[in-house]
Amino acid sequence: MTLLDVHDLHVAFDGSGHQAVTAVDGVSFGVGRGELVALVGESGCGKSLTGLAILGLLPETARTLDQSKVVFDGTDLTTLAPAAMRRYRGARIAMIFQDPVASLNPVMRVGAQISEAIRAHGRATRQEARARAIALLAEVGIADPASRVDAYPHQLSGGMRQRVMIAIALAAEPELLIADEPTTALDVTVQAQILELLDTLRASRGMAVLLVTHDLAIVASRADRVLVMYAGRIVESAATRDLFHAPRHPYTRGLFGSLPTLADGSARLAPIPGIVPPPDRWPSGCRFHPRCPVGVDRCRRDVPPLVDIGPRHTAACWVTGAEANR
Amino acid sequence: MSIRHRLGVVLAFTVMLLAILGPLLTGDPTAQPDPVGGRLLAPSTAHWLGTDAFSRDVLSRLAHGARLSLLIAAIAMTTAGSIGVLFGVVAGGVRGLFGWTTSRAIDIALALPRIVVLLVVVAALGQITPVELGLVLGLTGWPSIARLVRGEALRLREETHVTAAVALGAPPARVIAREILPGTLPPALVAATLGVADVVLLEAGLGFLGIGVSPQLPTWGSMILQAQRHLAEAPWLLLAPGVALVVATAAATLLGDALRSRLAPGSR
Amino acid sequence: MSHWAVRRTAEAVALTILGAVLLVALVHLLPGDPLNAIIGERALDPATKALLREQWGVDHPLPVVLGDFMVGITRGDLGISYGEQRPVATLLAERLGPTLLLGSLTLLITFTVGMALGLWSALRPRSRRAQLLGTLTLITYTLPSFVIGLVLVWVFAVSWQWLPSAGLDDPLLPIDATGGAVLLDRIRHLILPLATMVLATIAVPIRQQRSAALATVAAPWVMAARARGVSPWRIAWQHVWRPAVTPVITLLGLWLPLLVSGAVFVEYVFAWPGVGALIAEATGTRDIPVVIGAGVLLVAAVQLGSLIADLLYRVATPGTVES
Repeated sequence: MTLLDVHDLHVAFDGSGHQAVTAVDGVSFGVGRGELVALVGESGCGKSLTGLAILGLLPETARTLDQSKVVFDGTDLTTLAPAAMRRYRGARIAMIFQDPVASLNPVMRVGAQISEAIRAHGRATRQEARARAIALLAEVGIADPASRVDAYPHQLSGGMRQRVMIAIALAAEPELLIADEPTTALDVTVQAQILELLDTLRASRGMAVLLVTHDLAIVASRADRVLVMYAGRIVESAATRDLFHAPRHPYTRGLFGSLPTLADGSARLAPIPGIVPPPDRWPSGCRFHPRCPVGVDRCRRDVPPLVDIGPRHTAACWVTGAEANR
Repeated sequence: MSIRHRLGVVLAFTVMLLAILGPLLTGDPTAQPDPVGGRLLAPSTAHWLGTDAFSRDVLSRLAHGARLSLLIAAIAMTTAGSIGVLFGVVAGGVRGLFGWTTSRAIDIALALPRIVVLLVVVAALGQITPVELGLVLGLTGWPSIARLVRGEALRLREETHVTAAVALGAPPARVIAREILPGTLPPALVAATLGVADVVLLEAGLGFLGIGVSPQLPTWGSMILQAQRHLAEAPWLLLAPGVALVVATAAATLLGDALRSRLAPGSR
Repeated sequence: MSHWAVRRTAEAVALTILGAVLLVALVHLLPGDPLNAIIGERALDPATKALLREQWGVDHPLPVVLGDFMVGITRGDLGISYGEQRPVATLLAERLGPTLLLGSLTLLITFTVGMALGLWSALRPRSRRAQLLGTLTLITYTLPSFVIGLVLVWVFAVSWQWLPSAGLDDPLLPIDATGGAVLLDRIRHLILPLATMVLATIAVPIRQQRSAALATVAAPWVMAARARGVSPWRIAWQHVWRPAVTPVITLLGLWLPLLVSGAVFVEYVFAWPGVGALIAEATGTRDIPVVIGAGVLLVAAVQLGSLIADLLYRVATPGTVES
């Protein structure tokens, strides 16, 4: 059974005076226990908001609309009171963020920040929490954890700080980890190490991971499934292997086009022309149509539904989706 | 321009109007038309803001007080600004012993609370004229401007156009006058405008303590001192100079903020 | 750390001594004959005048005056008051207690309440009440302390007659009054000056804490802490306030001169027998030894305060100062 079931999630910003702007527009997906699901899209597509909305951590100006459901292990999190919601945060669903440098409190020792997460969700004495913190630092691959536990964040490197963030996330043994661009701020070599670590922890702890990223390349070898988001909607979802072998949506293909592929020697980049428009200027019909190389008239008028086009493979496109096949 | 900044301009304009036109439209601030029956009168059509304990017209005194306050503030900020810019530019722009000494002089001057120096000077001088008070307030107000200008000069010294001028062999005095000094003027102007608020408050404070300029002069401070003596019978005497002080200091503060966002948007 | 602390302490002492030298030299170099201040309006014959000049050392050259002053200070001798004909050190000692009482309570209340209010308004910057607080702070910031004091006197002492408006205690209090009655009387006399001092100085800590906390409230580590289920109270305290406390500590040093000038005017308004009122009165009577003595004391207090602020800053910013 699925661990997390996001159903028809809508996130809207209170517009400046006039009308609300919908930034996440009817997103639905599931994450199974121990599964690693990647949520991929360019910045501004609403993928990070989706991650924040699951934990009820939206900025003050944003809110989820009524029809949205975020069912975690049978409970709809959107209906919970703040205090009840807090018992899920960190304890059953943890989250790590893009900037490990800024995500640690600069005036608290890292051990104290790990202990804080342990003690927020269970009874533990100071000594017990400290011992657990040292064990967690060791688990995330920090050398000499017994002395690093007393370090201040500025004494650690960027990669080590992201490891500390992961240790904090693991503190209360969550069943789901939402990782929002966990490697974007890190060096390429460190990126690989952190992804490797996340993959190992998923296997050793049976923890599900929702990996939010703009980078298809880091998804390839690790994710079980990939969800592609564009302008607030999911436009394609498939098992990683299927998506990489047979991307159906023009946007997904565009994302592959902008990947540097060393395999075919040419290594030519073919980026998608244009940029993602901001939420208050999303076009009618298929929101990708102004940038789409294969669009037809209908794309301007009607919103293409997300339909099955193969085993566990869905896409939302009038041209390359199910309709075109018939 | 934000609403706050616009408010600053309007308030500053109000005070200046009061200072420039007020004394022309109101009567003699020292006239005592009826020292027996006409004292401590409540506001009326004859005396818009009432009369004080010597039957003098409060509005007239308020207007003349505005003129005195602005005169003193103008002298003080010109003095403080000139000395502050001079010391700051030398401390920040000149290398070697001369610059270092100037810089330490600024630090020492900053270590002395302004009010203490002011009281010591006034105690030594006794009663002085408004112009002299303006000079005294200026001579005690320069260190904070000098510190600001020094910081700005130190920053400018590292900028490319200055390094370029030095590399091209320009003499140090020329580099300071042409490359560094002009850059420090906008922040100094902002600081001087903000400093007007302090000067107006200090001037009123001295007037309230009954020291500095003659208590017979119609200053806002001496009006407040009067008000304290008759708080029970004539509380409105406190209102006029109190509001005037708030308006003047708020005007200087808001105007300074507006100038800062115009002239030196980066700084805070 | 200790090496740095020793150097910083030496610097504070040196600045205080230099300040004292400057004040003495300033009086000496400025025009204005102190003899007029001593004899006042009295008409004296030239012989008596000459005698007085010699007796008070009015015509000594600056190096001698400075030397005498410095030697005197080491023996706790700050000269004789012109007006009261008593040692300045004794006068200051009498006035120190009330000033310390008023000043330390002001410091305590202004900083705790100011920081709490600043933090509170940063946590909900858009709320109506936080905006009202912002407006009130701006008003108290532009109001001079003596006007605040007089408004409070008018409301609470003149109109409603709830509280006394002047002095340290009630002179009509019976000599055999109980300790409780004396204490209550002292507290009643303290309320208005203390409220004035707090109102006159609280705007700066509120605004400083608010802007510092507005930066930390939006910090990624606050979001990270919320994501790990930390309680709102702990977030406010540990993740918003603690990283935002250092700018406020720095402010403490800058704020002390404000406390000093507040003390001068507020003590004067309420006839509070402290050092501030002393220096104000002495300035009025041109009692120069008293003005200088009280001035040096206030300079030393400001230096001590800024020294403590710097030491606190070191403690509050673990390891980050070096960079």
